[in-house]
Amino acid sequence: MTLDLELNESEVLLRNAALDFLRRDTPKLVVQGLLDTDTGTTDELWQKAADMGWLGIIIPQEYGGSGYPLTSAGVLFEALGTAPLPGPHFSSTILGSLVVLHAGNEGQKLELLPALARGEETLALAMTEPNYGWDPASIETTATSSGGEFALNGTKTFTMDALAASKLIVVARTASGSEQDAGISLFLVDRESEGVSVRRLPGFLSGRTFEVELDGVKVPRSTLLGQENMGWAPLQQAITEATPILCTYKAGGCQAVIEMTLNYSRIRVQFGQAIGRFQRVQDMIIDMVTHSDAAKWASYEALWKLDTGQPAIESVHTAKVLASQGYWEVVTLGHQVFSGVGYSRESPISFHTRTSRSLHHYLGEPSHHRQELARMLVSPEVSAV
Amino acid sequence: MNFSIELTPEQKNFGKEVSAWLDENWPADMEPIRDAQKMTREQFQVRRKFAQKLGAKGWLFPGHPQEYGGGGLGHLTPVIQEELASRGESLPIVTDWTNLAAPAILARGTEEQKKRFLPPMLTGNSMTWQLMTEPDTGTDVANQQTNALRSSRDGEYFVINGSKTFVGGIHPPPDQFYLLTRSDLEAPRHENLSSFIMPANLPGITIQPLDLFPLSTMAAAYGPTGATMEAIKNSVFFDDVRVHESYLLGEEGEGWQVTMATFAVEHGGGANIIRNRMSERFFDQCRNNPHITTRLRENPHLLDKLVDVYLYTQTERLLSIRNAGGKGGGYGGPHFAMFSKVFGSKYGADLAEVLGPYAFIDEGEERLDDGIFEVGQRNSIAKAPGGTPEAMKIQIARALQIGR
Repeated sequence: MTLDLELNESEVLLRNAALDFLRRDTPKLVVQGLLDTDTGTTDELWQKAADMGWLGIIIPQEYGGSGYPLTSAGVLFEALGTAPLPGPHFSSTILGSLVVLHAGNEGQKLELLPALARGEETLALAMTEPNYGWDPASIETTATSSGGEFALNGTKTFTMDALAASKLIVVARTASGSEQDAGISLFLVDRESEGVSVRRLPGFLSGRTFEVELDGVKVPRSTLLGQENMGWAPLQQAITEATPILCTYKAGGCQAVIEMTLNYSRIRVQFGQAIGRFQRVQDMIIDMVTHSDAAKWASYEALWKLDTGQPAIESVHTAKVLASQGYWEVVTLGHQVFSGVGYSRESPISFHTRTSRSLHHYLGEPSHHRQELARMLVSPEVSAV
Repeated sequence: MNFSIELTPEQKNFGKEVSAWLDENWPADMEPIRDAQKMTREQFQVRRKFAQKLGAKGWLFPGHPQEYGGGGLGHLTPVIQEELASRGESLPIVTDWTNLAAPAILARGTEEQKKRFLPPMLTGNSMTWQLMTEPDTGTDVANQQTNALRSSRDGEYFVINGSKTFVGGIHPPPDQFYLLTRSDLEAPRHENLSSFIMPANLPGITIQPLDLFPLSTMAAAYGPTGATMEAIKNSVFFDDVRVHESYLLGEEGEGWQVTMATFAVEHGGGANIIRNRMSERFFDQCRNNPHITTRLRENPHLLDKLVDVYLYTQTERLLSIRNAGGKGGGYGGPHFAMFSKVFGSKYGADLAEVLGPYAFIDEGEERLDDGIFEVGQRNSIAKAPGGTPEAMKIQIARALQIGR
């Protein structure tokens, strides 16, 4: 059989380099500090990431990137998820690059992608709104054309990594059609443009989630990413390809939590023995492993399908349900094993607590993807599993 | 990475050979089995003959060594399995525990025992039951109460007394038992056991079928032989049964080590990639059976159950792929088998919700498919065969070194 789950040589190098980076440049205390910042990173760390080639990992070589397949990016993000390394790595490097790749015209790609790879520009997707959802019906922000420019009006709530971004990809309605996904356009908006205000949403578990107000923001026609009214399809394609990489990041988080929980189960003594000797504690850790493995292999299978040009949408939805739910459950169970010491801000499990929650809804919470799966499962056209 | 379970060109060529042979040699009078309790002795014999034909080609136990009657085919084994699966059958065609006894014989048997027992076993010419469970010995396997004690009269014989239960299968007797006993009343736990591979027809042996409702593990979902493997059980009584010491498997007192060689296989979940045929049929019903599509349309809560079944099936398949993926897949162990069992009950409940009372009706095509879901409902309560999930979790906890 052709089945082969091992990393190839370049993936092993990527993984080792990432784990070395985390040990050397972002030990526990640094991660703890970064989690509280507005950007999740520093100029120095971001430059280092650019030097390592991470910021252009999936950008094709003709646009200044290293052109790795999505699976390799998944391997990198699985390693980064163990810290978990904060910053707009996913939002900009993966999701942002993919939106530009799928939606942008040649000139935009030539201008923007090399700058992303060098770390000179950073992107964030301003899509969801107070009426939260990842479907086209939830997009109510408008872009009204007059003369050679557009005026953007609306509120982009739950925008991840907005303050780390130099440019926002704003999803807006340019026309109302009978089809809800028609008439949606994408704009590249400088975050510091007049009329843009960004506010970090408070909450220990909210992560770097922002509300972006667009109050009559005037942008020239040249900021239109790709074609007017045709933004939805390339956006969906980008989200589909990006999602399983977010999932490997979560799977990496699961593995780190399991590792630290296993260690704690060996050293914490109660009733005269290591708590890991108690079968109820063992049950929890075994459940954690089930969640973690399901998340990991579902993600890599989806990436393999995408990289080899196979229909992947079912696998992508499956991966997001299993990874979001899995990371959440692994952290919850880990806390049960750690008990008191897990609630300390400097305890690394708390980094994962915050991350598993703040990324839970990103690109759709489990119920969103379950709904998509349900649609496919009752539709007679789709082939059997 | 590559998740493809497609066959290599070499495997595909071999597949053509297997397919042609199967077409030519398929018994016209062999009926497909869905429910083992309905298998007549005549059908049992038809199946045994077919198993022997496969055995003569080395295709009954294709992965086992050729010198002892196996096929020595290694990576070609899945090809035979797939060809049989596409015809609704699976190895080894009839109830048998050679898959558990043979590894123990290979690991611990003498050369004489290997030459004597393995060739007929691996070619389907003799059948083997594994005798481990007793009325007071379930998960605590080491707590053997069946005694095999050296005869005081002629010391080269053991005298066996005691009983085994929930063992064997349909249409007894088999040819031999793979038996675990207590051979030393003084020695400490785990050092007091001995295993035997011995004839099943000695004086003093009584086999009594149990009156069980037809229970089988979820394995039945994957192929009809799964159902025959687990559905029928017996008690076996030993009254002063005299067994020569040449039937000892492993040294006297090494029964626990022999048993571990079997557990490695039995609880390992193997490296077979799971195709859950019951789920495939279920999804097909949800798309195409008007009774079921109407139910799904009218009650959105059922969609949730449908998605649960889908995610369960995907997770199960991914865990089996992980186990089959070798070094890259990481830790396997009984984790996959444990997952199947634990979630089997929720799975059964979800199927019953979506299918409605059709789920319990054992009737043909006018109803739901061929009644496989009724079998599935019985399956979903079966936790014990092959070890309870709790016993498996003990093994997993050790493998993960939780608390140690």
